[in-house]
Amino acid sequence: MDRQQIGLKLALDQLGLPARLSSFDDRLVLQKGVYLAQAAGVDLGYFFHWYLRGPYSPSLTRDAFAMVNDIKGGLDGSEGWQFDETSVQRLANLKPLIREAQPPQLAARLELLASVLFLLLNKRCHPDDNAGLREVLLRYGKQFTQEEIDDAVGKLRQYGLVADQK
Amino acid sequence: MASSRTRNKTKLIVDSIHGDIHLTPIEQRVVDTASFQRLRHLRQLGMAQATYPNATHTRFAHSLGVLGIMEHVTRVAKAALSLKRTEVEDIRLAGLLHDVGHYPYSHLMEKVDKVELAEEFVASARVLPADITKYPDHEALGELIVTQQRDVIKALGGRKRAEEIAALFTRKTTANPQLSKLIHSSLDMDRLDYLLRDSRAAGVPYGQIDLNYLLNNLQASPSGVLGVSEKTITAVDHYLLARFFMHRGVYYHKTTFGLEEACRQLLRRVRDAGMFGIPLDGNAVAALVTGPALGRFTDAFVDAIVERAAVDGDAVMKALANSIRRRRPPKLLKEVTVLARNDTRAHDGIVFKNNCKHQLKSLADAHGVPLGRFLVCETRPLTLEERGALLTEDEARSLGPEDREEIIKVFIAGKDEPVSVVSIPHSIVHICSNHFFQAFRLYFVSGDGDDELVERLRAEVRGW
Repeated sequence: MDRQQIGLKLALDQLGLPARLSSFDDRLVLQKGVYLAQAAGVDLGYFFHWYLRGPYSPSLTRDAFAMVNDIKGGLDGSEGWQFDETSVQRLANLKPLIREAQPPQLAARLELLASVLFLLLNKRCHPDDNAGLREVLLRYGKQFTQEEIDDAVGKLRQYGLVADQK
Repeated sequence: MASSRTRNKTKLIVDSIHGDIHLTPIEQRVVDTASFQRLRHLRQLGMAQATYPNATHTRFAHSLGVLGIMEHVTRVAKAALSLKRTEVEDIRLAGLLHDVGHYPYSHLMEKVDKVELAEEFVASARVLPADITKYPDHEALGELIVTQQRDVIKALGGRKRAEEIAALFTRKTTANPQLSKLIHSSLDMDRLDYLLRDSRAAGVPYGQIDLNYLLNNLQASPSGVLGVSEKTITAVDHYLLARFFMHRGVYYHKTTFGLEEACRQLLRRVRDAGMFGIPLDGNAVAALVTGPALGRFTDAFVDAIVERAAVDGDAVMKALANSIRRRRPPKLLKEVTVLARNDTRAHDGIVFKNNCKHQLKSLADAHGVPLGRFLVCETRPLTLEERGALLTEDEARSLGPEDREEIIKVFIAGKDEPVSVVSIPHSIVHICSNHFFQAFRLYFVSGDGDDELVERLRAEVRGW
């Protein structure tokens, strides 16, 4: 495990997300959870772009496989490491949002939150135009309801990931 | 690489790998910008020239080579997908600019945040700061350069066009989905060029792939996915094996890797100490590449830090810097190589790392040398197919579309859409795709008169 992979493992542990890649949902949860953690100010060094299921980082995929392989082999390089206090606090603040849904709904919920946040942060949609947000999500093949999107925007605001409008 | 102008006003560049490469006027304007010319001063293979003296080729030549390959790709795609002239132009420009954001010494400086120092490796309690921004990867820097450096924006004809091109190589939401898929799907144009170029420059035969055969058999599916016909399966296997051998023989060569690890560790120490003008975090890197100092962000930028560290650094920095500037590569005390199935639960590499973790400090103390002169490192797990080999069968079934798209695709007779090469039973990669190769290494940065010490250290770690 290199230092970046150690950070990845610590973030997953603190968010209560599994360091596991045995199903597609596991991979989705890992990608979207890390995206939200970075948006909350815990910089793990991954660069996300938009892909078929929302924000996605190829280098995160590679690191996640390496991390899981090490752990399978009995070597958890993150033992003895901890984040700085600010990052610990930021992850603690984010955790309730992540844990609002449980498997099997967790993957879809994180996909929604991460996708909406990505579109807002990259200025593809206006934060006051939830209907427009739904249109863009539909264009990318995401069938979330308006209610789900409204709720996601509200939660992202509540957790300080999207600035309140004045 | 020489250039001349053809009768139809395109610029002709003669490349040592691909022969004639034609630049359109807009491509020529991009190439002539200071931001692009910076690539002339970035070595493609980092410090490999310390091992292979002729491996001094640059990101500049590689970027033009990718454009050369794009000529073939767009010819196929244009016919199959009825691409417009501007769409072809966009794909070519994205290929040309895909590496414009590389750091000095290519991937070396980019990986500074991944470096774990020996004193951290052996410690039982450590703090990992995640409240500062990490150095962005080169794709992110490329996007910043293309969309914020005025010379590139002007050459591309305005900010909107610049954003469209950057969106293509970073796969942003705004990218034309069909073009984005063409660039990222299946055969990786970047790899096709670098294997040949790096192999030729290093003087080794491992990367000599059958490029023309692959390109001549390139096809596009109705949905816009690129692949090669099934009859090229030997060339595809060869291509994937070539990548594997180039990594083992050149990119992970013990001398090159040791020098680069010494440099990465030096940069990490200098960065943490805030010395010698190195960017302190990702924001500082972003400010550097979007400002007037971009042209100085070349290999010479790192060379200058190494020179200063050799004089004004602390003892460990001096040892690392002198190892690099005097070409005295760190001595390899022990290497454990692993070639195993990806579901191997425990292997010698992990045993070795555990031994390093628990015994290195005692070893350093016993010989009175600072821990910082030991470099504990490992190569990235290397697979025949970037994704395939790291997967168990269960994981492969759960593979997301994002990952599936990057695996090489092959057209099977009677099917419109290509399938992953991993799924073809008579391909070598089908058999080997669930294996990985990885090297675990312990180096020592030695000084004058340390030969006996190195031999004693080697003897002591032999059983680790």
